[in-house]
Amino acid sequence: MGWAPAIRGRFIGLVLVLVGAGALLASLQIPLDQYGQWGARIFPLIAGLAILVTGLAELWEGPAIRPGSTGGGHTARVLALLALAIAYVWALSKVGYLISTAVTAPLGLWLFGVRRPIGLLAAALLCPVAYHLIFFEALGVFPPLGEWIDLLDLIRGY
Amino acid sequence: MDILVGLATVLTDPVLLCWILLAALVGMVIGAIPGLTASAAIAMLVPLTFYMQPLAALAFLYVIGKSGRYGGSIAAILFNTPGTAASAATQIDGYPLARKGMASKAMRVATVSSVIGDFTGDLILISSFAVIAAVALRLGPPELFAVYFAAFVVIGSVIGNSVARGLASAALGILVNMIGLDPISSQERFTFGTFELSNGVALVPLMIGIFVLGEVFAQIDKPAGRTVMADEPDSAEARARNHLSFSEYKPCIPHVIRSSFIGAFIGMLPGLGSAIAAFIAYGEGKRRAQNPEEWGRGALEGIAAPEAANNAVSGPSMAPLLTLGIPGSTIGAILVGVFLIHGIQIGPTLFLTSRELVYSLFAAGLVGIACYGLIGYFGAAFVGRFILRIPTQVLYPIIFLTAFVAAYASRGNLFDVVVMVVAGFAGWAMRRFDFNPAAFVISFVLAGGAEEAFRQSLLLSDSGPAIFVERPVALVFIVLGIGALVFRIRSHRRQRSDPKAAEEPS
Repeated sequence: MGWAPAIRGRFIGLVLVLVGAGALLASLQIPLDQYGQWGARIFPLIAGLAILVTGLAELWEGPAIRPGSTGGGHTARVLALLALAIAYVWALSKVGYLISTAVTAPLGLWLFGVRRPIGLLAAALLCPVAYHLIFFEALGVFPPLGEWIDLLDLIRGY
Repeated sequence: MDILVGLATVLTDPVLLCWILLAALVGMVIGAIPGLTASAAIAMLVPLTFYMQPLAALAFLYVIGKSGRYGGSIAAILFNTPGTAASAATQIDGYPLARKGMASKAMRVATVSSVIGDFTGDLILISSFAVIAAVALRLGPPELFAVYFAAFVVIGSVIGNSVARGLASAALGILVNMIGLDPISSQERFTFGTFELSNGVALVPLMIGIFVLGEVFAQIDKPAGRTVMADEPDSAEARARNHLSFSEYKPCIPHVIRSSFIGAFIGMLPGLGSAIAAFIAYGEGKRRAQNPEEWGRGALEGIAAPEAANNAVSGPSMAPLLTLGIPGSTIGAILVGVFLIHGIQIGPTLFLTSRELVYSLFAAGLVGIACYGLIGYFGAAFVGRFILRIPTQVLYPIIFLTAFVAAYASRGNLFDVVVMVVAGFAGWAMRRFDFNPAAFVISFVLAGGAEEAFRQSLLLSDSGPAIFVERPVALVFIVLGIGALVFRIRSHRRQRSDPKAAEEPS
């Protein structure tokens, strides 16, 4: 996002004000305790108020704040990786660990610039096996099973 | 004497020694990879430590933190890219020396200084831990809350370009911690009817998201660049040039001693961390140097001062964590989770309940320093060459996949993976827009204890919130917090009005 620092500062300030106001409203929805006191509300209210105040400060100071230093300008690639991450989580619940990882591993490598078909194929085969052996066999973690189909069930003959 | 018992425990356990040696190597390699930090490594490895003995788990992660701080100097000197923020000051003199063909000499100075700084910090921690713990036992809820308040303000306001965004990061961390059932009244807070949120947001997937997946997002956001290593030729003349004699190191010693104490003092203050210690030590060293004109062009003292300081932070930063339950750094915040997972309650009573474990952990730290010192002194250049062989376009996708399986393995729950993805994107956005991910995570960890102390204080009080100004110790910490905020805002305004000052690291 190549915005001018002034606009960026004001935008961030506005977002913080909205988040702070939302947190304040949500905090007021927390029920009172059995003695009718604000016990469980107080800390969320303080945090919400702090966000609101920092947002107002940001709106006030926005134009003078130095521009961010870490922006690389490849937001589209970031969003593509985010989409892959969300799809991976969804696929884990539907088709289990092995199939979803076999698909995600080469896609992840491709997003980072790997184009060699042999490398992508090796990742599709080796990544699920290696992670499965380390985490689900050696460490004994129960693997996420697919709701629709799970290769592990087929391999084990269930 | 406790430390001798701890050393005996560590040195007579071959398995534990292997974990410490592995941690020294892993921390060094990860710290030396530009972009990856010891925090990221520890966050990713936390689920693996669930299956280890408590001492081995804590020692493994603690030594990774120590070694990772040192590993950052390898990247700073050899690649002209600080592996960690703390090693950015080392780069100022380290890389010019490497370009003169004296990379190994620079690395040896960094190694010796890091080891001395780290040992000094640990010895200060070991000698003062019992005293701090005794003082901590006398603190009541109002005093504890005041300490938390000061920690929130310092953590939020000191690091980063924007005070407002730093404080907002801390407040967001508190708000996210509030999700779930209120521990006292069991009222639901911010769950919005979602069952999975009623248990709150788990620390491990949150940390993996912020530090690991967030870094993967940040890496894909960067333009592709090639890392070049400033290496010396393998010749007899180069080996002679890179030999570090005692007479060459002697002028560094006063800087190392001073910087070690600067680092140890800063380490005890929550949230300041290694980067600030390194830059303060560098500035102070240059101010007092007999050869200030050589600093910035490859002065050995310019490497020794920041390296001693940034490693001296490590030990003392454990003091507020172990005695008050207040982590002074992101690594400390992660260790809080590890202590809790292994059923060890940190805080004022830890010294009474787990004294042997604590001193064994300190002893493991001392052994870890010796391990990374030896590996670094003789093999830093080899580690640098090894890192150059790792293609980042393969490394980061592997880290991406590891983050998912590590987040899932922490509790065997896919909802934790969702939390990790959300936290990862938030971590990237925070870096991108100058927020402070470290303040967010540390505040998330502190929020539970702070709320408990706050509400207990109000129950004790006849005059409501006035209890925090009626108790002298509490008042001191509240004033310290407000003072730190005012000081930071003033220095920030001064930096902005003076463009030269604005270019210096904050």
